[in-house]
Amino acid sequence: MNLFTRPMKLLTAVVLEQTSDRVVKSLLRLGVLDFVHINKLDPGQMEKLSFRQSSVSRSALQDMRHRVEALLKQGHITVPTSEVLDVQNLEKPQLEAFKKTLDDLTASLLSLKEKQKESNQMVMGLEEMQRYIKEDKGEYLDLRVGQITKGRSEDLKEKIAAFGGLLESVENTDLWISLTLRRDVGQVDPLLEKFGWMESSDVQLQQQAISMIKDQLGKEHDAALAEREKIEKAVDEMVSSQQAQLFAIWANLRLNELSDQIRSYFAYTRNTTLFSGWVPTDQAEVVEQAIIQASEGQCVIEWTDARQVPRNEVPVAVSSPKILAPFQRMVNNYSTPEYGSVNPTIFVMIAYLCMFGLMFADVGQGLVLLLVALLGKYGYKKNPLKKDGMISRNLTDLLIYLGISAMIFGALFGSYFGLSLFPAIWFNYEAVVAGHGGDGSLITDVYDILGLTVKFGIIVIYTGLVLNWINLFRKKSYLQLTLDKNGLLGGVLFGTGLYMGFAFVESGYQSFPSDPWIAPVLAVSLFLLLIRGFLAYYISVKQGGKRHDLGTVTMDAILEWFIDILEIFTGYLSNTLSFMRVAGLGIAHASLMQAFKELSSLVDGFGGVVIFILGNILVIVLEGLSSGIQSLRLNYYEFFSRYFTGKGVAYQPVGLKNSSSEQR
Amino acid sequence: MSSDRVSLYGFINAKLRAKIGLMRQSKVIENLLHASSLVEAVGVLRDSKYHAVAEAYDRTGDLQQMELVLLGMEISMYKEVARYLEGSSADLINHLLEKIEIDNLKNTLRLWYSSIMRQRPIRHRSEYLFKEIILYPIDWTALINATSWDVVGESLKDSPYHATVTAFSEQDLQQSGLFPLETALDRMWYVHLMDCVKTLKKADEEVATSMFLLEIDLRNLIMLVRYGWYHHMDADAVKKLLLPWGKVASSKETEAYLRQNASERNPHSIINRYYPGLEQETVPLHRESTNYDEASLLETLKIEGYLAERRKAIYQRMLAQDPFTIGLSLSYFFLFKEETSMVKAILNGKYYGYEEAYIRGVLV
Repeated sequence: MNLFTRPMKLLTAVVLEQTSDRVVKSLLRLGVLDFVHINKLDPGQMEKLSFRQSSVSRSALQDMRHRVEALLKQGHITVPTSEVLDVQNLEKPQLEAFKKTLDDLTASLLSLKEKQKESNQMVMGLEEMQRYIKEDKGEYLDLRVGQITKGRSEDLKEKIAAFGGLLESVENTDLWISLTLRRDVGQVDPLLEKFGWMESSDVQLQQQAISMIKDQLGKEHDAALAEREKIEKAVDEMVSSQQAQLFAIWANLRLNELSDQIRSYFAYTRNTTLFSGWVPTDQAEVVEQAIIQASEGQCVIEWTDARQVPRNEVPVAVSSPKILAPFQRMVNNYSTPEYGSVNPTIFVMIAYLCMFGLMFADVGQGLVLLLVALLGKYGYKKNPLKKDGMISRNLTDLLIYLGISAMIFGALFGSYFGLSLFPAIWFNYEAVVAGHGGDGSLITDVYDILGLTVKFGIIVIYTGLVLNWINLFRKKSYLQLTLDKNGLLGGVLFGTGLYMGFAFVESGYQSFPSDPWIAPVLAVSLFLLLIRGFLAYYISVKQGGKRHDLGTVTMDAILEWFIDILEIFTGYLSNTLSFMRVAGLGIAHASLMQAFKELSSLVDGFGGVVIFILGNILVIVLEGLSSGIQSLRLNYYEFFSRYFTGKGVAYQPVGLKNSSSEQR
Repeated sequence: MSSDRVSLYGFINAKLRAKIGLMRQSKVIENLLHASSLVEAVGVLRDSKYHAVAEAYDRTGDLQQMELVLLGMEISMYKEVARYLEGSSADLINHLLEKIEIDNLKNTLRLWYSSIMRQRPIRHRSEYLFKEIILYPIDWTALINATSWDVVGESLKDSPYHATVTAFSEQDLQQSGLFPLETALDRMWYVHLMDCVKTLKKADEEVATSMFLLEIDLRNLIMLVRYGWYHHMDADAVKKLLLPWGKVASSKETEAYLRQNASERNPHSIINRYYPGLEQETVPLHRESTNYDEASLLETLKIEGYLAERRKAIYQRMLAQDPFTIGLSLSYFFLFKEETSMVKAILNGKYYGYEEAYIRGVLV
């Protein structure tokens, strides 16, 4: 793991055009080059170069790939991933042939779907009658028993079926049972009349008719339902039978998309191809060898160090071990760090877990979080196609850490599902909150807890400041490093403020300290802060910046100074006090557990246990969520605001396995 | 007052804004249009909030079953928002839901009319109706199975629609069809709507009144175009269709428009009077074309599309205004309804094999 963002190098290469295909394949296979357009590097050279439109538009390739994906999904087949891509199979796409295959498959599926619709309508019609029989709503049905004296029974059966009705013969008789809906009686009556329907006078048979036709209705319904399901399966089978072909088409289209994406960065002379892109320094040698090999040595490769390019143009690659992935996601979610700055992931991890642990300290509840995470992970591993639920894949990763953190802090504070099963390693949090702070311990009341979290906040803020100083030093921004509100000067003012604040508290909120060094330090610091504006202007002019008159510069400097002072005094104060929320939530957690314990003690036996369990569940869900969110907030606002500019451009190499390449 | 509004709308507005944000980010409509067949369009729905619609297609292959799922989603959405509100604001949302119930009632009555009055078998089609309780305890099963008009009225006895429906006799329906009844139901809904708006708190009342008067103006304009121009209906009949609120119904321009001979009316002038910008050049061209009916229909669709665009712009503008009023909820309903209508229209277009460009043309 790099403590800083990965060092980058800019590659510019020229290869012979006849070898460019092989070079594309090599680069695609490596997937480490973040391409840049040549015109961005040297617009003056562009007159000598040409660009070529690809023979097939990338959007056409994408559209067709989406068609393939839709068909696969219709067959409930998982869309292939980059795993199926092999650059050796990169061939020209046969779009017409692909289109024909997809059109044919679509037409077949639509035809099956039309049949399924018909089956469904039959099911619906039969279900309606079944429902009326089941719900004893015979008034909606028209049930008759009688003889057909004219025409063929098959013809009548067919015509009655057009109304969604049934016509069945009564065994061993020449009688028939007709079942239709009463609302259709106006049309059924003339029909039956046409076939010379003679109603039977057998009352017993009339009464039995419903149970006789019910069976038939059930059979018809089951048959229609089976048919509908059979078609549903047939749809899946039809797609499945073409899976190999669809996968091959998908892979071809995807490879061509990626290849076209790479080629879109290429510039050409009559015989050569020119391209450029960023590569992490540790990959430079591999890339160079790959190009040399693919071009059979007929190439020119030039490397430019990132220091020769404006920092804001260098893409930022951050490498963190997989184990830190949940915290890397938190950083990425915020923004991309600046090139060359500290990779904040490990610091975020430590700060986040400490904050969470302080707010949600309980061995038992931490164990529950851990178990939920492990079960969730197991579930997703067992069923890779399962969609992310409320506890997503990413959250299960994070919950493992949160569970462990809660358990460690729980052991320190002696809390096991809110019970003090074992003595606290550090101090008994709940006892302190309840006003029974242990003798001899440094933490005896809630004020001590508040003080503890404020001190923790000070450590976090100072860590942020130190990281900022390191970043500024690496950037050679010495003016900011020394005289900025987040620079050394800011650190001194913050330290002085802290000294005064703690002394004020120690005096019982009576007086501020009167040490002789305080006033001069404050005065010098504020003066330095004021001259920063003038120095910044001087440096800017020296570097060719715009000149302004003295009045404007003075006004700017004073205004900036005034705002900086406000920000330093209010910002640092509020940032520090903001950490009291850690104590707040920790106290709320302990108080809630105390309340549930007392509630459960009021109810004997099983009821008490239920209250205790429900209380724990409620606390795990609500407090767990609040603690997680508050920890994130403290990291983003209090910690990141000290050093994280988020001005970086993310490194997005084009390759088979880079998901980002699809978005370009 | 101010803190009440914040506590009443704070949560639901945050929730709806998040949903609107997702709706705007979503490319469902664009991807649906782009799909080259119904199977592929369903593929688009699979990974969206409409996945239940895709599942209905997998299970049944039936487009109307998919529409039924969409209707269910729409009803749930209204109920969800109403649950988070209280008092007159919740009543208004429920009243808006009543419009869906009335539309469902109209569909049911159409089917019933087809079956009993026109003696056409409706077979399974009654199963495409939404039969659960939407707002009032209507016995939908009894209604669709009614063999007489009295039974229809009986099935609606516990709903506010009973009086309106039973004001028409079986003979009225035989003579004039369902159109007057449907118009009466719509009018009844608007009358109740305006009453409901009056019970809102002042800020809400102002927002809701302005939005609904605009709705009414647009609806009246559509009536003037559809029936006064396209169907050449006489002035008195068109007047009866107009809702008596808003600027359009009582304006001099409307009077003048209706005074004209039905074949000489020009809808552009009256629309441009209220919403300037509607292009006029296609009317004479179409009127002279050989397929007059189709040309007029397309022109009517174009005008209706234009008015729908204006409505959309106004609702979207509402999103930038005072967040602690009923306005945001109304905008959300509009956007949601618009999206589901588009989904329905596109799925139908794909089912019948229309090209993307044609569907786009009809949607605008």
